[in-house]
Order: sequence, then structure tokens, then C-alpha cells
Amino acid sequence: MIGDVIERSLRQRSPVIPVEALVGNCDGSRMPEIVADRLTEEVARKLVEVCPTSALGMYELEDRRCLRLSYGHCIGCGKCADAGQGAVVVARNFTRCGVAKEQTVRLWDIDGRAEMTPLAPSPEEARGQIHSLLQRALNVRQLDAGSCNGCEAEITALTNPYYDLERFGIHFVASPKHADMLLVTGPVTRNMAEAVKATYEAVPAPKLVVAVGACGCSGGIFAGSHAIVGAVDAVIPVDAYIPGCPPTPAMLITGILEVLRRRIAK
Amino acid sequence: MREDTPSLFPNSGRASSGTAFTLPQSEDGGAARLVTIFGSLDPHGARRVRYVFDAGKPAYSEIVLPAEGPLRSIAREVPAAAWHERELHDQYGIEIVGHPDLRPLVFHDNWPDGVYPMVDRVDDVPWSKRDYRFLQVQGEGIAEVAVGPVHAGIIEPGHFRFSVVGDTILHLELRHFYTHKGTEKLFEGKSAGDGAMLAESVSGDNCFAHAVCYSQAVEDACGIKVPPRALALRLIGLELERLVCHISDIGGLCTDVGFSVAAAYATRIKESLLQASVQCCGTRYWRGVAVPGGLRFDFDSARVAELAQAVARAFRDFSKIARLSLETPSIQNRFEAAGVLSREAARDLAVVGPVARASGIDLDVRRDHPYGRYSEHPIEVPVTHYGDVMARARIRISEAAVSARLIQEAAKSLPDGGVFTPIASQGDVQGFSAVESPRGELCYWVEARGGRVTRCHIKSPSFQNWPAMPLAVAGNIIADFPLINKSFNLSYSGCDR
Repeated sequence: MIGDVIERSLRQRSPVIPVEALVGNCDGSRMPEIVADRLTEEVARKLVEVCPTSALGMYELEDRRCLRLSYGHCIGCGKCADAGQGAVVVARNFTRCGVAKEQTVRLWDIDGRAEMTPLAPSPEEARGQIHSLLQRALNVRQLDAGSCNGCEAEITALTNPYYDLERFGIHFVASPKHADMLLVTGPVTRNMAEAVKATYEAVPAPKLVVAVGACGCSGGIFAGSHAIVGAVDAVIPVDAYIPGCPPTPAMLITGILEVLRRRIAK
Repeated sequence: MREDTPSLFPNSGRASSGTAFTLPQSEDGGAARLVTIFGSLDPHGARRVRYVFDAGKPAYSEIVLPAEGPLRSIAREVPAAAWHERELHDQYGIEIVGHPDLRPLVFHDNWPDGVYPMVDRVDDVPWSKRDYRFLQVQGEGIAEVAVGPVHAGIIEPGHFRFSVVGDTILHLELRHFYTHKGTEKLFEGKSAGDGAMLAESVSGDNCFAHAVCYSQAVEDACGIKVPPRALALRLIGLELERLVCHISDIGGLCTDVGFSVAAAYATRIKESLLQASVQCCGTRYWRGVAVPGGLRFDFDSARVAELAQAVARAFRDFSKIARLSLETPSIQNRFEAAGVLSREAARDLAVVGPVARASGIDLDVRRDHPYGRYSEHPIEVPVTHYGDVMARARIRISEAAVSARLIQEAAKSLPDGGVFTPIASQGDVQGFSAVESPRGELCYWVEARGGRVTRCHIKSPSFQNWPAMPLAVAGNIIADFPLINKSFNLSYSGCDR
């Protein structure tokens, strides 16, 4: 019987997705993209009103009215795209994964209808340096600080034959003591805060900490609850952020590789 | 449990005072199955408690008691009530008289005594240090093994305290609620529509069942009729979620016994369905799709037909892999007779879902309390009485076949028309809903005022089933624990909320 299974698996075509097709891909995440020349003050107000997690906000900056979009807060619900009269579309690619916190936030000058924050690297740029990163090894320990298990499902998917994370030399390890990187999901609950700190301490230096998902980045939909302490960076130092609710496997791979790229470039 | 059982914990004692009621009977004269117990506040801020029972078809029955004074515990007659009553005590500060074990359940050592989030202000709760006593099994050669909350793998957090003799587990005590996020409290003040997004984050892998169940409760409260097309698409989403979950579980069971070829296949089949979902509705897990009143957007019928084809392919592959796995002697050796949950234990703890059906309890919300379009699709409910890991695996494989068939049927007969009925903002309303989620009976009770949620209670199947898992584990070797745990497939976040 086992022979049948193995023979069958040898005959099937590998479903593995080439890394070039993964980096920058965000299909299924519904991350929003602002169409700057459609922005008006009225639309911006509407967007801020419908956003359930305060990912969208309006500010005055040097006498200019600005729209702020924080991807770390965004749960990809799509309400802004529904209400935006063309000023918001679902992003076709997304490279703000595995980046510093300030890079997860974008600002637009509403009256000038222009973005004020630097552009993210294009998927082509992000793909350019990948192959130099794939000669190494990285041990990752996933830590659930109170997640809904949506992020866990997507992180587990990284090991399936489509994403096959091990081809990049990246392994999930069972002990924080064996880890180079902590992938931390969920808002940190009161009941997990101590265990999160202890797990962080158990990872040998130098260590990389990545906050994963809207909850890990900002508290997400659970922000303000009496039972949570806050985002991951409220409890332990965080090097990089991967937005999404949950981030898709392609976004997770984009993010992990970006963290490596930044670390090596240092 | 006998009434003269000596008490283990200081709060216990024989029930002699406190508000009490007569337990309802089912049609066959036995005790009605407990569905859930939860508190709420009346318009004057007084506490009251609702007991929901399933006394047979078709409706659920409800008993409401005032709870400003003490309540008499029903946990000795109905062991399934034990965790519900502990939660009431933690969240509402309701005095429960005669409970055999009133240790804190939801809040851990860091939470101060006397702070009850559902009645008190909880803006800035101080950090505290309380004591928690695990049950100690004493005797020669007995050792304690503490596991968690952080586990070795990509798993949710929870604590397991084993008392073992050699390899054999004598007793397992759970300590959960590490992922407690105060979710029920967070619903308060949300608009009826936005509540669906919070419901989706109660248990991420069953997010669609939660969104639909929440939406149905709001629709029940507001008396809204959802368009047939939306109901049919919801049915497809619910069955797809079940199929994905069961495929994933069979893969997980294969992983836990080292049968990695089948495990890899299962993850591959699961992924094919998630990608088909992106093509169909732009999201892998159907997040942001269901909303009170129907669906957020309509689906392209041609895309639904493509999804149905992907489901047919996935199910064909899955049934081959599942059959081959269960025919493999090394799998049979590990699955059979491991982690037996007796019918009596399952009934006492009011266990639901595939775990109940594997222990001889014939129960399925889709058939017993039909909702949405389920009354139009006859459902065969697989039941077996072995109660072991193999039984739970076989039940899931049989259920996957039913789900695959339902998706084909619903996709072929997809009605035309709209997918959304707007909700008019109303006065004080209350609604209840039950859905057969992949893990079993899921219930939402929603109270709203002027279109804003004032109280939302979630009874998740995992909350109900977790206390049964230690009973299935006792007598097994500790090395089989991960396998038995996987065969229950319980959500920590769903339980902890």
C-alpha cells in the first residue's frame, strides 16, 4: 500500500511555485492600495469612518491634510475598497513584508493627491537579490502569543509542496534554543506575556524577531481589549513586521526573505 | 459524580442554597443535552444567566434565571456545565454554590481577585500574583510532566499537566485560556455589521462558520430574511471549510504517526482548495464574505462552478489517500484502540461534532436544527461507537464525502437574485443561532440595541470538547498524546476566546 502511494507521488508533477512568482505576491490577502488621483477629502473621511481597525486615519501635517494607511493595522476586510469610489483598490502586489515599522505606514497629501512616503521596492527589485540569499540556512521558531490560529494555518502552509520553505534552507525548529528567528503571531495576551518573554530570552543572540499578522503588528481587531497587553513590540523587541490578516504564504516568504536581505546588507 | 464525593477544592460543598431549577428532559425521558450557559446584564445592569438545552427537535430551549444572588451549581448532575459555571464565576462574579471546582478558569495568576470584566470597568487592571493549585496525583512512582504553554511546533498555546507512571498517563489536567482575548466583551458597542469581522477572528481556521453563525444570530434578532442565493453560497463556504478542515486533520494524524507521504498529499490537496477559493472569492479562508443580511458581495456563477470542479478533483485525490492510509498496517496499529472516549463520558460532557459522532452520539445541527439551505439537502450523519482515534478519522473521512456532495449540489442549483438584505436599526433585540462547524455545534447569542451589539456570547465546540480530551488520554502512553490530541482537533483560540 505504501508502495502505491510513493509510486503515485513520483509520477505526479511537482506543484512547487518558483520563488520569483512568490515574492511580492499578495493574492488572497486583500491588502488595499490607494489610487492617489481619486482622493478627495470627502472620500478620505468616508474611508476613515468605515475602517474597523483604524488602519486609515486623517492628519494635519504642516497645514496639509493627510491620509495615513497603516498596513500593520489592516485586516484586509475590503470595506475601504467598497466605500472608496475608486480611490481604493485591492493591491495586486505587496512588498512591505519583513520591513521596519515605519515602512508599514504610508501617507498621502489629500489636496495634492500625491503620496508623501517613499515607494516600496517593486516586486522586480525585491526579486533581484533573492538568489544570493538562498545559499544559507535559517532556523525559525514560530511563537503563538494569542493568535486566532489563522496565521498558524498560513505558516503551516509554508511547508506544503507548493511553497516548500525548506528548499530555501529555512527550517521550522521545535525549540527556541535552536532558533535564529522568532515568528510571533497574535496580540500578546495577558496570559501569554510571561511565556513570550521567556521564549524570547531562550533564543540565543543574535536573534531576529518578526511580528506576523495584523494582531502581531498592532493588536489588530483585538486592540484595546482588557485581556491583551498589545502588539508583539509591547512585550519584546521586534526587528520586522509582516502585515496581513492572515498574511498569505507568499507574503510570509516575501517577508522572511526581506528580513534576511536587510540583515545581510547591514 | 456522586453527591458524597469528598471535595477536592475549598470552594466546594453540598448545594443547599442558591437559585435552582428543574433540569429539562429530552424526548426519550433522559436529561436534555446542555448546549451552553452564559450571563448577561438586564437594562438595569442586573446580572442574569441563560441556560440553553437541546431537548430534541426542532428548537433549542432556554431557561433564564436572575443571578444577583447565588446560583446552585448543576455541575454535579450535568458535568458538562462545570466549565461554563467557572466561566460565569470569572466573568460576572456570580456566586455558584456547590460547584466541585471553582478555581479560576479564564484568568490566570496575573489577574486580581474580585475584578469581573463583564460587569466591572477594566480599563487598567493591575497585575497580580495569585496561586493556582493543580490537582496532585500522589503515590509511589508517580511523576508529573508539565507541557506548555509554548509547544514544540506550529501550534497554539495551552498547558498540559500529566501525572504518569512510567509511560502511562494516569491523569491529565488542562490549563487553557492562554489565548483569551476578551472577545465577547469586544463585541459590545460594535455595529451589527462589524461584529462579523470579530467573529471571524475567534477561531481562524473556522472563520466562515463563525461569521455565518454570528450573522444568523443577528438576522434572527432583527427578523431578516436572507436571499436564497446568499444562503446557497454560505452553504458552499461552510461545507468547503469542513472539507478543508477534515483533509487537514487526516494529514495531521498521518504526520503524528510519521506517515509523511500521505501527510504531504493532504497539505497539497488542502492548498489546492485554498487557491481555488482565491479564484472564486478573492480570499483563502472566505474572510470578509459573510455579513448579517447575507454576503458582502456576489460571486460569479462561473467561478463557483470552477470551485465545484476543484472540490471534485480534491475529493477524488483525498479519498484515495485516505483509503490507502487507513489500509496501512502501521497506521491501523497506531490509530486503533488509542484514545478511547466512551459514550457515557461523551454524553456527560455534552461533547459535540465529529468527536461525539465517533463515540456513538448521533448529533448534527445541520440535520437536527436545519438552518440556511440545509433543510433542502438531506444529510446522512455518520456515527460509530468505537470512540478511538481510528473512529474519529473514519468519521471525518465520511463527512468529507458528504461535504463534497453538498458543494456539487449547491453549485449546480445556485439560485439567481441578490445576496444581501439590509438590516434596519432596531430597538432591543435578541437572537440565537447554531451552526455545525467543522468541530461541531457552534452557537452565537446576540443582543443589540439600535443596531449596536450590547452582548455577544459564543459557545464554541472546542470549549465544550476540551474537558473530554483528558478522559480519552488516561490509560494511554504519553507518546500517543499528540496523536489523540490531533484526533480531537480542538481550537485553543476558539475555546479561550
